[in-house]
Amino acid sequence: MGQVLIAALAGGLIGLDRTALGQFMVSQPIVAGPLTGWLLGDVSAGLAIGGALELIWVLDMPVGTFVPADATVTAVSATAIAAITGRGAADVPLLGFSLLLTTIMVPVTMVADHLMRMRNAQIPELVLGGSGMPSEARVTGWHLAGLIAFFLKSFMLCLGMIPAGLAAMALFLSLPPATHRAMTLFIAFLPLLGAALVLRKQSMQVLDPYLLSGFFMAALCVHVLQIPVLAAVPLAAGAGWLGVRFGRG
Amino acid sequence: MQSLGFAFALIPVLRRLYPDRAEFASRLGSYMEYFNTQPYLASFVLGAVARREEDRATGRNIAEDPSVIKKTLMAPLGALGDSFFWGGLKPLAAAVSVAALLAGAWWAPLLFLALYNVVHVGLRAGLVFTGYSTGGDVAALLSRYNLTRMARLFKVLSLSVIGCIAGTVAFWEPPFRPALPIAGPAVPAVAIGVVLGMTALLRIGGTPLKLMLGLAVLCLALVLGGFWAP
Repeated sequence: MGQVLIAALAGGLIGLDRTALGQFMVSQPIVAGPLTGWLLGDVSAGLAIGGALELIWVLDMPVGTFVPADATVTAVSATAIAAITGRGAADVPLLGFSLLLTTIMVPVTMVADHLMRMRNAQIPELVLGGSGMPSEARVTGWHLAGLIAFFLKSFMLCLGMIPAGLAAMALFLSLPPATHRAMTLFIAFLPLLGAALVLRKQSMQVLDPYLLSGFFMAALCVHVLQIPVLAAVPLAAGAGWLGVRFGRG
Repeated sequence: MQSLGFAFALIPVLRRLYPDRAEFASRLGSYMEYFNTQPYLASFVLGAVARREEDRATGRNIAEDPSVIKKTLMAPLGALGDSFFWGGLKPLAAAVSVAALLAGAWWAPLLFLALYNVVHVGLRAGLVFTGYSTGGDVAALLSRYNLTRMARLFKVLSLSVIGCIAGTVAFWEPPFRPALPIAGPAVPAVAIGVVLGMTALLRIGGTPLKLMLGLAVLCLALVLGGFWAP
């Protein structure tokens, strides 16, 4: 129970960074996951979960009336479920199933965000009060109360999702090995799904020339020239830059 | 939605400019109207409003209501900021960091924070002063910070890095490295095929949620059907 509480508190605090405080992107899955993993003694689980979720939700933006998924709560909860179940050394199937569980719970986070927006829309009227004039104290009070409300939203979501996930994880552990192997394959596909989601949002074309230039440059570097993968990343980005500089971009 | 935060941020300026309580409350009340823009570019609006309130309080310009600039600027700055920060900088930082993480770099989260915040914090702080010095002149903002061009460049770079992610799939570190029954150049070819196939599914109405659930079902079917055995 102590670890669930620690994770929920972390979720509440990290969740503030989404919209209410700072927006330094600590709330992005690639940071929120490892941070939660570090608090619970399994940084590797957090890194894997954050890395798998980052590209999937990075372009899920609040445009118009669309309420995006709460990727922070998802990353924190998935990491906590894997780290607590794996006792600090979660194996790959556990990571995959934690990701799947929290994905199923994503609509709950969207409903919570929607309710929060409805509540926020009423605040200016409350600040103005009966007199129709705001006071410094009321503006300050309601503004700071907003931070508490945002904290509680993420905290309560984590507090609900993590125990539910731990219960489901107990069932998963009793399932046949084939399901565990399926989760190993599932997690391997997630970065490719993330790549597809970024391509979908960033380009009008499926066969985007910049995507293909980065792909061929990287494949050439690592397969033919045997350059380390980390060095291939800036080279692929450089290929894109050359395309903009000298191409039709 | 952001009106309360905007009014809160202006309190020190208004308190200094309007010692009279009634006037202070009246000016504060004018900032309680609807306001919604890109949160970082709100810094520019804040600087502009502070300048115009100063002009009003000192009698340099009493004809114009300083709060009007807030309404005028919120839509164009919202579009500009969304495109630059949410559509350009954030996905680029994410793509580079995920590519590094897949290659085994444990420091990828720190790289993400550094890439994003070096640009974000610098701009956010600078925009308050630009807004103040120009009084909310968007043309001056655009000539000083070419955000549209940079957004386009960041999008292109993120697409190239996404291509790199697919091209290096055979060298990903666990737990992401798939145990495939193929080797060599066929691996990245399959990976880019999977990416393009999933993109096509997204174009015909797929959502991240549906695709993730569909992917889990597909993985289960592949394993139970004996098509994939690590």
